[in-house]
Amino acid sequence: MPTVEFGGKSFNVDEDGFIDDYKNWSEEWVQYVKQQEGIDELNDEHKKVIDVLREYYEKNGIAPMVRVLSKVTGFKLKHIYELFPSGPGKGACKMAGLPKPTGCV
Amino acid sequence: MAFVSSGYNPEKPMENRITDIGPRKYDEFYPPVIAKNKGKWLYHEYLQPGVLVHVAESGDEVYTVRCGGARLMSTGLIREICEIADKHCGGHVRWTTRNNVEFMVDDKSKVQPLLDDLAGRKFAGGSFKFPVGGTGAGVSNIVHTQGWIHCHTPATDASGPVKAVMDEVFADFQNHRMPAHVRVSLACCLNMCGAVHCSDIAILGYHRKPPMLDHEYLDKMCEIPLAIASCPTAAIKPAKVEIGGQKLNSVAVNNDRCMYCGNCYTMCPSMPLADTEGDGIVIMAGGKVSNRITAPKFSKVVVAFIPNEAPRWPTTAKTIKNMIEVYAADARKYERFGEWAERIGWERFFDKCKLDFSHHLIDDFRDPAYYTWRQTTQFKF
Repeated sequence: MPTVEFGGKSFNVDEDGFIDDYKNWSEEWVQYVKQQEGIDELNDEHKKVIDVLREYYEKNGIAPMVRVLSKVTGFKLKHIYELFPSGPGKGACKMAGLPKPTGCV
Repeated sequence: MAFVSSGYNPEKPMENRITDIGPRKYDEFYPPVIAKNKGKWLYHEYLQPGVLVHVAESGDEVYTVRCGGARLMSTGLIREICEIADKHCGGHVRWTTRNNVEFMVDDKSKVQPLLDDLAGRKFAGGSFKFPVGGTGAGVSNIVHTQGWIHCHTPATDASGPVKAVMDEVFADFQNHRMPAHVRVSLACCLNMCGAVHCSDIAILGYHRKPPMLDHEYLDKMCEIPLAIASCPTAAIKPAKVEIGGQKLNSVAVNNDRCMYCGNCYTMCPSMPLADTEGDGIVIMAGGKVSNRITAPKFSKVVVAFIPNEAPRWPTTAKTIKNMIEVYAADARKYERFGEWAERIGWERFFDKCKLDFSHHLIDDFRDPAYYTWRQTTQFKF
């Protein structure tokens, strides 16, 4: 597994740049992914999406369905794409430290 | 090669970004005779296997030459197709829904030179690059999937068995001797991408062993509730395991309930189940999608297991060849494979094709299994 260094911390990531373990997530990881995903500036809305994702994952053991994410955050899918250009899976879940989405994606 | 930019700026990924433009509109690529006569075709005929003529109200004719394609193609081969299209068809060419290639010309005199050109083209190994055929009551191209070329859940290969089977039935690609057309499809796992569930003969990759559990990584890599919900027989339940003195969240698989579908591996990378000896091929038969005479049918399992025999899959190819021969000899005109089997009765089908009937073929999946059993005294000894 490749290791990336960022902000004085090191993270193990897979070939798609997802973190190896949810527990190794930290504020530096968010900054690292922000750079990777081409997001200029993190605002409160980004943080809200990430908080919702982490809270939901801790409680349920899965990432929320897109409709649930939309409903809980109050952001339409279009707005989530504006916040995370790669989308809720590749962008937001990666930044929140959730496991890589699986299935026929 | 060193990096060459397309003009995309990774510093500003959203700048000058074009999205949601969809595919090019189909009529941009119409040959002139198609564009002119669209919606005004009167009738069509098969001139010979692989060659069709359509006649329009205006009297215009368009001749179509259909060639087999391997589906998995290099740009070199695509360029050669373009070169043929430039030479004979004014630069126009199309692909069919079974991944054959069709060249169209607007005059009968242009057909023979095109056929001669196509027949002369072979790969260095000797295979035809553009075998003409695939029309009428024959065996057209095999709809297939990724296999070991690209997918991570296959139980068999796709391109390999397809080549082996098409070699075996090649004469029927270029012939119309069948009672009706025979559609052969392949899927390399029972996700059944493509058409195996509704084909006259279907080749399906199949596992025979339960998944291996990578407990150390399972909770990190997977969303455990998804893995549990992915199981059609509820063989998976959440479990705590102890690895190296550490309590970890994981799952437990009840092997007695597992039927090796591999859905859990699709959802969870820590549950791989591919196995060299365990994996192989299931043959299904009797499906169709058209509404002609009888309603569409699902294909049914007729051979429970054939091992993977790379690179030529001889048992698979031979079994299919045999089924096609028996069908060709016994079925009535216009009768599809499934219609034939249902008319003579499946017990006769197994008899005639000399296929073994094993308990694996008896449906045991939930309530609907009951409807597949025989609730009548009508059968043949």
